[in-house]
Amino acid sequence: MNKIVKFYHEMGSPPSFYRITAYWLKPLLITSIILMIYGLVDGLFFAPPDYQQGDSYRIMFVHVPAAWMSMFIYGIIGVAGIITFVWRMKVAEAVMMASAPIGALFTALTLLTGMLWGKPMWGTYWDWDARMTSELILLFLYIGVIGIYSAYDDDPRKAARLAALVAIIGLVNLPIIRYSVTWWTSIHQGASISLMGGNTGIKDWSMLRPLLVMALATKFYYMYSMLARARNYLLRTEEQKSWVIKAVNKQSE
Amino acid sequence: MRFWVLMKRDVLVSWRKKSNIYQPLVFQLLIVTMFPLGLGAGAQTLQKIAPAVVWILALISTLITLEDIFKDDYEDGSLGLYALSGMPLSLAVLAKAAAHWLTTGVPVILFAPVIAVLLHLPSQSYLILMLSLLIATPIFSLLGTVGSALVMTLKNGGMLLSVLIMPLLAPVLIFGAGAVLETTLGNSATAHLTLLSGCLALSVTLAPLAAAAAIKVNLE
Repeated sequence: MNKIVKFYHEMGSPPSFYRITAYWLKPLLITSIILMIYGLVDGLFFAPPDYQQGDSYRIMFVHVPAAWMSMFIYGIIGVAGIITFVWRMKVAEAVMMASAPIGALFTALTLLTGMLWGKPMWGTYWDWDARMTSELILLFLYIGVIGIYSAYDDDPRKAARLAALVAIIGLVNLPIIRYSVTWWTSIHQGASISLMGGNTGIKDWSMLRPLLVMALATKFYYMYSMLARARNYLLRTEEQKSWVIKAVNKQSE
Repeated sequence: MRFWVLMKRDVLVSWRKKSNIYQPLVFQLLIVTMFPLGLGAGAQTLQKIAPAVVWILALISTLITLEDIFKDDYEDGSLGLYALSGMPLSLAVLAKAAAHWLTTGVPVILFAPVIAVLLHLPSQSYLILMLSLLIATPIFSLLGTVGSALVMTLKNGGMLLSVLIMPLLAPVLIFGAGAVLETTLGNSATAHLTLLSGCLALSVTLAPLAAAAAIKVNLE
């Protein structure tokens, strides 16, 4: 069998997923910490101050990566939700439910840092601006996924399938919500980075570099945290299975 | 054929239990009374917030009725029979949604002018208010079936249902209340109503499928 196909099949089975990912956790965590230290030091001390916002723009190095992650993780949850719902893969369930709290926290972090940034820049912590409002609604979608899962705590498999359904419905609605909310006048600054190279936005490499490093750091942190949570999720939901008993015995030795 | 039978049955069940129909309206009346009391202000403030208040009241009074759409049918086992009957479950859901709309949506539409009078909504907005509710209340019922199907086996699913459904209804509120707001300013509401109709078309096609999927998971 092809190596990639074999790897794919192994990752789909809880015991081998548990075994393989054990080796990934430490490298992921260490990479993310190193990147985060570098990104923060570079962003907070070495990047030049903004010509308009002075030093207070530096919260961007936390705010923007967190905002990217909040949407990225919802995408992951949606895809894992489809896999959970259609093929009933246990590992997809684990990835979905492990991602939800991390995504919710990144969303909350985005809102919080945004509010702290908004006070000196706009003179208010909160304004019902389009992007803030849709970020808040995204938080509600995360809470919905987590909420329905915890409501059916007597039957985790059923809970996961219903949570997957909620995630898929959210995924379909997200663009609608986003556009409907955008058709208000907005005071939020436009996107600072565009792949196609627009005329506005960050051009200074020394400003862009810490931002991209932080974006990478949050990705690695997410992978670490998600895998660790997914492993625990599998242990908890499969506690009767022999592989779990073996794995736990091996660890306690 | 079975679609009509099912719908007629549900309408009859609601009709015989009259409280189902008038309670949301009494609820609206009560809340709308609280607004002037709480604001302590003259007609000016009320008129300004009228489009939003009428709309949010319609939304909330529908929301409180949603939990029960499938609950009784689940508990007495008839929902299992629908699933086994050979009729597509999504069609049964559509019938339930239509019956729910007839017994809660239509009264809300007919009652909206009364609420609007109490809030001093300008007279040129009444037609658009009712038209926007006519398009939007079916969306409430359709998305409501999804929420109701997700929580029907839970004891206290009402709060969770609101958390699941409210974010999805945000666009409907934006376009619906926006349409009424435009007319109070003397503008055309066509753009808002068109978008609202788009939301309706999407919900008619997708919501029954999602609700049927949730029912199937819950019946397993």
